[in-house]
Amino acid sequence: MGTIVFAGAMSHVLDPDYYDRACGAIGRRMITETMAEIAQMGERLSAAKPDALIVVADDHLNAFSFNCVPAICVRIGRTVHRMVQDHAEAFDQVLDHMPPAYPLHERLANAVLEQGLDAGFDLALSWEAPVDHAFLAPVNTMLGTRPIPPLVPIFVNAFVAPQPTARRCFAFGQHVARVVAQSPWNVGIIATGGLSHFPELSLPRVGETDVAFDRKLIRCMETGEHGPLQALTAEELHKTGGHEFLNWMVLLGAVTPARASLRYFGELPRINLAAVEWQLA
Amino acid sequence: MSRYEINSLLYRLKKDPDFRARFLADANAALAGADLTDTERAAFVAHDMRKINELGGYLHLVMSIPGLAAH
Repeated sequence: MGTIVFAGAMSHVLDPDYYDRACGAIGRRMITETMAEIAQMGERLSAAKPDALIVVADDHLNAFSFNCVPAICVRIGRTVHRMVQDHAEAFDQVLDHMPPAYPLHERLANAVLEQGLDAGFDLALSWEAPVDHAFLAPVNTMLGTRPIPPLVPIFVNAFVAPQPTARRCFAFGQHVARVVAQSPWNVGIIATGGLSHFPELSLPRVGETDVAFDRKLIRCMETGEHGPLQALTAEELHKTGGHEFLNWMVLLGAVTPARASLRYFGELPRINLAAVEWQLA
Repeated sequence: MSRYEINSLLYRLKKDPDFRARFLADANAALAGADLTDTERAAFVAHDMRKINELGGYLHLVMSIPGLAAH
């Protein structure tokens, strides 16, 4: 009987230099605080001795370009590689100096995929997609020099409209929980991204966030009110810059009705930084 | 209507260093075969990422093309 032994969600551009350039000294201070909380979450993840770590995150038009953009994609195979970008700029620079390859938990990934298709989720699969900062910055910040468990990367299309619905992401997370429960493994799960930033994906609006919206999301997670979160619309997420909350919706489905503990929330002009951990039974 | 063309060009500029070098050397020549409107073409030639974003170019691409990224 498998168990989800750790669940957490967090922002995923985890680079003091990036925030120093974007927001000045306060950006460096707040991301450093965020990363310290995430590292502590990682210590608790390691202490739970997971056999696998599911990472739910989005692609930033690095892995999937415009030949195909899957709504939800399970990365299968034995190894995943870090995205390689020559002369990386901005958030892509976060990947520099990270280990280039990571083992996958092939059997759990296959189970999520195969049982998902049986259950009516028309999941995409990939043997080759690389992962960008959305996956690797949280994993490396959490685990530092400790061993990284075999990963199960799951891509959610957060940015290329039309995206999967919040309700569908939640339902898929419930499927993930069923797969874990029927498996022999102890599993950690993290979701990454956000919170509010880049509203309407508009360049002139880079530097705006929606704090009231994020506080509403956090309140719902803290109280375990997952109904209103499932009702979030694509338009709401687009207007508020809440696109990446779709990743969090998968995690919420996997842990519902567990309540969240807020480890960090920091308002920056560019993004609201967050780190959240769930109280699992 | 050319939203795909804009974004596939942005993606190529990000991921294909040779194409990026040709574009930086002579944008008009690099874009010769591209299915762009005059407005779109002018925005690329001017390296006007704000305009390209306004015309439908995805934000994460206009913010991350080496040497051309808007910040």
